[in-house]
Amino acid sequence: MLLRAPYRLLALILFAFFVALTAGAASAAQTLGPVTDDIGVIRILKGAPIQIGAYWVLSGADTALGLDSRRGAEIAFKDIGGKLLGHPIKFNVEDDQCSAEGGQTAATKLAANPQTVVVLGPACSSAATPGAPILWQAGITNICNACSAPALTDPSRKPDYAGFARTIASDKDQGASDAKYIYEVLKAKTLATVHDGSPYAQQLAAVTAANFTKLGGTVVAQEAVAPTDVDMHPLLSDIASKKPDVLYAPVFVAAAAQLLRQSKDTPGLDHTPMIGGGSLAAPDFIEAAGPSVVGFRICYPDVSIDTMGKGYPKFLEEYKKTYGEAPTSGYHANSYDAAMMAIKAIEKVAKADKDGNLFIGKKALRDAVYASKFDGLSGPIGCDAYGQCASFKPAVMEFTSADPKTFAMGKNPKKIWP
Amino acid sequence: MSASSPAVALPSAPWLKALKRLNAVDIVLWALRIAVLLVIVAGTIGCVVKGRYTAAQWVDFVVFGLTIGSIYAQIALGYTMVYGVLRLINFAHGDFVMTGAFAGYFIAVPLDQSGFLQRQPVLAMAAILVVAIATSTSVALLTERIAYRPFRRVTGLAPLICAIGVSFFLQQTFRGMFGSAVKSYPEPQWQRAAFNVFGFNVPRIDVILIALALLFMLALYLIVHRTRMGTAMRAVAEDAEAAALMGIDVNKVIVFTFILGGAMAGIAGVFYAFLYKQVYFFMGFTPGIKAFGAAVLGGIGSIPGAMLGGFFLGLVESVGPALFLDGIGITAPYQLRDLIAFTLLIMVLIFRPHGLLGERLSKKRA
Repeated sequence: MLLRAPYRLLALILFAFFVALTAGAASAAQTLGPVTDDIGVIRILKGAPIQIGAYWVLSGADTALGLDSRRGAEIAFKDIGGKLLGHPIKFNVEDDQCSAEGGQTAATKLAANPQTVVVLGPACSSAATPGAPILWQAGITNICNACSAPALTDPSRKPDYAGFARTIASDKDQGASDAKYIYEVLKAKTLATVHDGSPYAQQLAAVTAANFTKLGGTVVAQEAVAPTDVDMHPLLSDIASKKPDVLYAPVFVAAAAQLLRQSKDTPGLDHTPMIGGGSLAAPDFIEAAGPSVVGFRICYPDVSIDTMGKGYPKFLEEYKKTYGEAPTSGYHANSYDAAMMAIKAIEKVAKADKDGNLFIGKKALRDAVYASKFDGLSGPIGCDAYGQCASFKPAVMEFTSADPKTFAMGKNPKKIWP
Repeated sequence: MSASSPAVALPSAPWLKALKRLNAVDIVLWALRIAVLLVIVAGTIGCVVKGRYTAAQWVDFVVFGLTIGSIYAQIALGYTMVYGVLRLINFAHGDFVMTGAFAGYFIAVPLDQSGFLQRQPVLAMAAILVVAIATSTSVALLTERIAYRPFRRVTGLAPLICAIGVSFFLQQTFRGMFGSAVKSYPEPQWQRAAFNVFGFNVPRIDVILIALALLFMLALYLIVHRTRMGTAMRAVAEDAEAAALMGIDVNKVIVFTFILGGAMAGIAGVFYAFLYKQVYFFMGFTPGIKAFGAAVLGGIGSIPGAMLGGFFLGLVESVGPALFLDGIGITAPYQLRDLIAFTLLIMVLIFRPHGLLGERLSKKRA
């Protein structure tokens, strides 16, 4: 006998409780009003707001990225009159500080609100990587507009990310395009990469390096810094000893500005072109990098007016009118599309009862988001089975002035390729 | 064989006695020592065998290390002096550095735009330093008067928590006033040139910053050791009550200490900003923590110790990744630079709690 009678009874009760709990979790279908949903239903009382959450970087050096995204979504809500199915929209935005800790905190806060229907953002893969699973555990679909790390929509991603979709292309394509530009256009034979440990920079640097090698080039250094590092001199001296033709550093504003400025003072790298990534299209980067920014190039999705959706010029006018300035970065259209995707999905699945209360099935909403298909402001939107809903348009942009006030996508930085 | 045979007597060799006294903690500490030593030795040998770095690069690493080390040393002096007289770890000291750098920025930008910084580097730098010193000293004095003085007789953790609160307050105030974006410090042409030292090119800004830092630290050392107020400071550091009984105005001494610490923080802030060309509200945190580490490394409370700790920490940070980590085949070693710095700090705290030049604290002082 392994256990005595009272203990056996206790074990049996615990086992039964565990089985009941697991069975309950496996079939937690919920019926509320006219809606039955596998993972839960949100009830919005008549006249109560539909709460849409969001998390973006709204403080620190990368603020422009998040602010621009937030504005894109706000204009989308404004375009539909601020109301959806007769309910006002309440937009709850959290600051994720473009970090894993910030993303985790913001997502936890949004998930703790039982009325959160859907969450937009973030702008940083660092925040999305821990944030999206937290949201999906609460049955909340997350539509990101600017986090491009390949792993987030990779077929091998964990089930925790099943509620995650994005209206920005994957860096799988961005990295391939960047390698092609560096190898074929800049005629570089050797490359050094620097990332900052964030999922975005790390994965993009790795994809670019792999594609560069595939094209016939040699990657002479794959280095890393911390996002808060300021002294890049020893690292750059080390890289200079390997004599790369191009320095590829798709890192964020503060570290990129330091790398750019200090590389100009590093013998052996003073004439080596440095290429940055999509996180640097912001006036804050021009401010941080100073005069070194002139001639600096970033690989970026093509956001020229002629490549965007047909409503884009009108959107730009609206943006300037509402906020009194031109867009502060390049992901506002993707954010507008993410908000529209959420709106259309809610319209598709929400059902009202006879008292005017609204019911939204969480699983149904996720499926509706994944089934989205429309001509967005940033281009055609249509998702694959892993939530990749935007197609890739490559471009390289070059900064033309060190005055932050001259920042304007298409002018400073201006498109130089293709 | 008889039971009282000498063969069963316990050996009494001194090393065996010491061995018997070893406990689990000692074994772990010895293992830690050996592991760190192995990494250092294996890394150095690996690096030398690989021979990847040229002499010019080693000179660069050393110069970069000395430059950042000189800034750590200046910040560390503020920590160590305040600790000396108040037994308070002033966690807001890194933010005094930030206030100095910001004040300098608002003078440096117009001076640069007007071309004065380029034409008259000495006068312009003096003006920037004066404004930075005035600002950081004022902030330090206000902090002492408003936040620290009410806690002067309070024991326990309250003063420390107050210092952390002041740090947050200063950061968020500057964020509120000037935004959270990173601002670019001017970079006049004269800073970009290089000196030729024994056939090696050394950036001019590094040489200027190291030389000026040494000069200011020497001045501070002389003030502390050769003036009446400096003597009073040392007396208060030794025993505040006895100093008061001898007629020393302790309040005045504490204010003087904050003036000196604030001035060094202002100078360090300007130097840091001229070296790394950026200012933002959170910029004081990391160098502040590193400088605190440097102060502990050198022996908190000791002025030469803080200087030595700063230079040592800067050098290890700069040379360490290439020398120790690259040699044992660690990829992207520069990402682990802070690991080296803080491992060093932990090692010092474990094996020499009073620091490199610190004195063992008497029971009363501790």
